[in-house]
Amino acid sequence: MDGTPRSVAQKIIARAAGMASVEVGDYVTVAPDYVACQELFWPGHKRNLERIGVDRIPRPDKAIMVIDHSTSAAMGSPHHETHRTLRDWCASQGIETFFGPGNGLRHLVLTERGFARPGTLIFSDEGNIASIGALGALNLPISTEVIVALIQDGTWIAVPPSARITLTGRMGFGVGARDVIQTILRDQTTNSALLQACVEFAGAGVATLSIDERETILASLFHSGAYTGVMPVDDAVIAYVEARAQGRPWQVVEADPGVPYIADLTYDLSAIAPMVTLPPDLHAAVPVGDVAGQRIDQATIGSCSGGRMEDMRLAAGLLRGRRVAPHVTLYITPGSRNVYAAAAREGLLEVFAEAGATVLAPGCTTCWGYQGVLNDNEVLISTQQFNYAGRNGARSARVHLAGAAVVAASAIEGRIADPRPMMAEGVA
Amino acid sequence: MSPRGRAWVFGDDVSGDDGIIEFAIIRDSFGKEHDEAALRAMCFRRLRPEFPAEVRPGDIIVGGRNFAHHNHVEVSVAIRASGIAVVVVESCDAGFLRRALNAGLPVMICPGIQGAVRDGEVIGADPETGVVTLADGGTLRSKPFSPRMVEIWRAGGVIPLLEREFAQRRAQQAREEATR
Repeated sequence: MDGTPRSVAQKIIARAAGMASVEVGDYVTVAPDYVACQELFWPGHKRNLERIGVDRIPRPDKAIMVIDHSTSAAMGSPHHETHRTLRDWCASQGIETFFGPGNGLRHLVLTERGFARPGTLIFSDEGNIASIGALGALNLPISTEVIVALIQDGTWIAVPPSARITLTGRMGFGVGARDVIQTILRDQTTNSALLQACVEFAGAGVATLSIDERETILASLFHSGAYTGVMPVDDAVIAYVEARAQGRPWQVVEADPGVPYIADLTYDLSAIAPMVTLPPDLHAAVPVGDVAGQRIDQATIGSCSGGRMEDMRLAAGLLRGRRVAPHVTLYITPGSRNVYAAAAREGLLEVFAEAGATVLAPGCTTCWGYQGVLNDNEVLISTQQFNYAGRNGARSARVHLAGAAVVAASAIEGRIADPRPMMAEGVA
Repeated sequence: MSPRGRAWVFGDDVSGDDGIIEFAIIRDSFGKEHDEAALRAMCFRRLRPEFPAEVRPGDIIVGGRNFAHHNHVEVSVAIRASGIAVVVVESCDAGFLRRALNAGLPVMICPGIQGAVRDGEVIGADPETGVVTLADGGTLRSKPFSPRMVEIWRAGGVIPLLEREFAQRRAQQAREEATR
């Protein structure tokens, strides 16, 4: 073209806008490949659809409608009505990609079922769906406006600037992807270095990470103020996508050399240790040793930042042959029906049950306090997304964030614990 | 008519959910209509207790870096319901810009605005041209809104705009059927 280097985000957005190129900060209208929508805001969406008088959305094939926040509509909750009206609306629109309760999180529905593919542009309602960037797909979170993108088959966006994080080395023993992103958030949140940016991950360290691990890093990236993120598409991604794309098209998009990144950072994966993020701030990560010994009441493993197969395996590795401490409740939520089935095939559900853990149906469950509600002054350690006061019930309850290994080890000890000694012992 | 009004000046890293409003108080409202009176009553009161009583229709908010970070849409609704005509910030996350505009509140990202306006000064800010006119007559430039964004702003939000467009479309179809 004109020789100006373009970022991954610029290229994907230009294609979706039907333009040769777009500049950072431009306001352009784009047609998405998909729009992913959860049920929690559905009553408001439905009111708006009726107010506008929308009979048919133009592209029902682009709507990925998922009930993930209110997996089971419990007695006393208003969500059973939402389940009914969303299901009925999807049927009336001819939307075949409706995923009812128990199918799992939008994040995993998008990746496991071949919707998120390299180069695709997906509007969603949440920044944590940047996890699909592990497959080279671009998540653009537009919050409650997702319904507008469905009504018009598109909406306006501001072309984001890009930043780069180069990963080197390889994670050490007992360290997980969650520790990596908690370390990045510790360093890069209060300085606004990544504000508004699409973060492109790069470097030889990426290839040492599984796709689950890449998704976990991207899922919490938005806490830094970043808009979205992508990882390079390597052979592992191509094999993953080819097995799921069902013939749908995709195109690998790479940044040109010389893109002016607003931040250009490097992290050595081998220098990262198991971390715990202290309440109530998302950037308050400390090495697990600093807080080890803190008594806990509840431990939870699940959510878009900790419910993948890799997390199930990490938890089972520690729980096999061990028991959850008597004063602790441990909830484990597989992120999707596929993860649930895979965990069953590998015998992990048996490990969880025998260890005294409760396995919940795939969905957001404990992450937003829908299940596992905390009382005053109770202490939680969790793989969930947020740790602000009141996230899981009582405002005086304290929420610590960590990876699945730290959470499982802590559940066994009854106190926040470094998982490495237990992992080195192997099966108890 | 481009907005011109009295500026309320705020600093850097003002939280949306836990600063401009108090989201913890209204977090049970998922799926319900916005309680605009309650949102107006809490708007900016933590930072400027006099704001809810003294804000006037047409006033302008000037914010620093990372303005309104961590914001649900209720933050935008609270500011708009307070009568604010436009928000001009040094920087903010992309989500705030779009949530606000869709709720009828234009946000202009205008590098240089920080330190250029004193509280209470009268300034102009036009999302359509991107021009911010300071009290001394000097100007700063922001990216102009796209034509579609201007339409959303003028209509008071994306839902009122779509409501009008769909009504026009239905009327057009009815006319065509009548003349067939």
